[in-house]
Amino acid sequence: MAQAGKGRLNYRCPSCFMRDLDIDMFYDKERDEYYCIRCQFTGSEKDVLAGNEMVRTRYGAMNKRFTTFDFD
Amino acid sequence: MSEFILNVIHRPEMVPEYSATVTGHGKEEDIGNKKLLTESLDIFKTQQRLAHENGLKVTIHMTYAALFNKEAVETAKNDHNVYGDEIALSLLGLPCEEFREKYKTKDFCIWMFSMEDKKRIVDDVFEKFRDIFGFYPESTGSYYMDADLTNYIKEKYPSVKCAVATCWEEGPKAYHTCNNSWYTLFDGGPWAPWIPSKQNTHAPAADESEDSGIVAIPHLSRDLIACYDGNGSNFGTHPQNVLRGMIYDSKTWEYPYLYNLIDQYRAQEKYNNGYAYNMMFVGPGWMNKMGRWEAPYELLLKSYSDGCKYYGDLKKQGKLTDMTMSEFADYYRQKKTYTEPECALWRDILYGSDKQLFWYTDPYMRAGVSMDQGGAIFDLRPYAAKLRWEVGIGTKHVQDASYPFLIQEKYRAGYFTHYAGEGTIRSAKLSYKGEEVDLCLCRTKAHFSQEDNTRILTLDPVTIEFADLSVTLQTKEYFEEGSGAIKIERTILDMSKPDAEIELNEYMTACYGTTEYPEDMTGIRLSCESRDGSDDRTISYEYRCREESLMDASSVSAVIPAIETKVSMTASETAEGYIREGYAFSPMFTLGYKKKLTDKEMFATWLKLEKAD
Repeated sequence: MAQAGKGRLNYRCPSCFMRDLDIDMFYDKERDEYYCIRCQFTGSEKDVLAGNEMVRTRYGAMNKRFTTFDFD
Repeated sequence: MSEFILNVIHRPEMVPEYSATVTGHGKEEDIGNKKLLTESLDIFKTQQRLAHENGLKVTIHMTYAALFNKEAVETAKNDHNVYGDEIALSLLGLPCEEFREKYKTKDFCIWMFSMEDKKRIVDDVFEKFRDIFGFYPESTGSYYMDADLTNYIKEKYPSVKCAVATCWEEGPKAYHTCNNSWYTLFDGGPWAPWIPSKQNTHAPAADESEDSGIVAIPHLSRDLIACYDGNGSNFGTHPQNVLRGMIYDSKTWEYPYLYNLIDQYRAQEKYNNGYAYNMMFVGPGWMNKMGRWEAPYELLLKSYSDGCKYYGDLKKQGKLTDMTMSEFADYYRQKKTYTEPECALWRDILYGSDKQLFWYTDPYMRAGVSMDQGGAIFDLRPYAAKLRWEVGIGTKHVQDASYPFLIQEKYRAGYFTHYAGEGTIRSAKLSYKGEEVDLCLCRTKAHFSQEDNTRILTLDPVTIEFADLSVTLQTKEYFEEGSGAIKIERTILDMSKPDAEIELNEYMTACYGTTEYPEDMTGIRLSCESRDGSDDRTISYEYRCREESLMDASSVSAVIPAIETKVSMTASETAEGYIREGYAFSPMFTLGYKKKLTDKEMFATWLKLEKAD
């Protein structure tokens, strides 16, 4: 089994991101999967992108444009 | 008239941070790689173009490596002549073949070098800069500039008047986010420009004698609520920070959060005598042609382009003034007095809550107040101590440059503790017939006002419901310029039983430290002082869970020798003062006053910070 490398983009582990950890994932071309060297996350590119969308669920106002910043 | 000032800074970094983990993955290290140099210069030139196309002037922070690069030097000279850019000198971007050969180290953070090496490097880069440009720079900077470094630079190169001197709340949180491999540990500083004291960079100078001689600016303008709990590098006026936080729509590539962040900073002029500030500083490593994490280059480019355009459009509308760093230093010296605080009334603009915080900084303290916790003080840094805290190799703090806290609710629990013990917070409890309610559970909002030299937070009244009594209470917090004290006033506006009597317990639970982990509390001296001095009570901290009290205490205090700080509380009228020692599972101390109150009565306490010699 050959060593892992980096994928097309430098994906981070979505599971670790959700606990405020930026961990680059590595790509196993034989299994066509990304894996995290710190936690147990593994997944395809599609899984990673889906995980990234889950990351965004905490940003409830991410798409909102604010016009006032006080409560006066 | 309100003014919103912008500093845009670019640095031609020949070996960008992160290049080893992105461009260079799977290759042996080669910091002289020609492809890397060409790409870095291209990114720098792209950044310059985007700023200039939007009518913004730039402060060009020449790195040591860039001083050896003819094209970088010529670009800087040209853009100075054509666009009025300032040519300045960064102490970031040291790594290059010449530096490695000369200093025989891979260290690159100026504050971490020994003092001897700091002087050697500063002399080296400043003299090289003068050889190339014919003058010494007026601006410099790094992620952090320790006081000894700044003092040396100012003494040797008095032309320097402005420096990038800290990243707000970049400490253990950033360290954790980077898999415990990014050693920028410098929590506890101001979030907006300030005049650092000669004793400690984080602590603003109180007068001319303490003035370090420079105006400091923060590295980026950061989200004052998101950064406190999360990774600072996701929430700043660095467009690619916003991408790092994945705070954009992955389909449309839109990121209204970036504009909300800028606009919330603009709104801070209401609390700072008509002045607000922003800083944008993006190193070339963040616009890597191979993309940065999951963001492709096209998105990186778009975000920086959009950021420049947003600022440029504000300028065209007369809502923004762009300055170079040295211009800003002159402006700031004219605009601000030493004791004038920096204030921020800040709301959540990302998670969809209505949480609101107030931040206050002056030469004596930095304090954070949470309206989501009834006006509790959740962060407190005793700048009054002007703590000498040497950093770098050969000192006690090789990496840890944070200003110590007395209260830090994220590192030391705050109101909520998991099983036992207490966390750091300054709040109050109301008791009635065996029931007790902490104001930390009363969510409210604040309104800012100013009377002479006092900034006032008036909180919307909250209701505390006991089994057979309802109490409406209002909190007002007063920050008097130059006093080193915070006055907190509680007024009973209404009671469902007008003749009922409740007990108000004003308390501060604190400790000290710079990280999540406890420090040795042994030897902290707790005092409960009587008015005539005849009945003082003291506890020398030994983790023995002791408590003392006095019916009419003139003050309750703690002296923390390790951080040369005295913190005390006093009361507006006769009340029972108490001091409480912690224990090993709760390494805290508590100071407080208890007072019986009836309807329409008011009780005030002062929390004061002083240097303990």
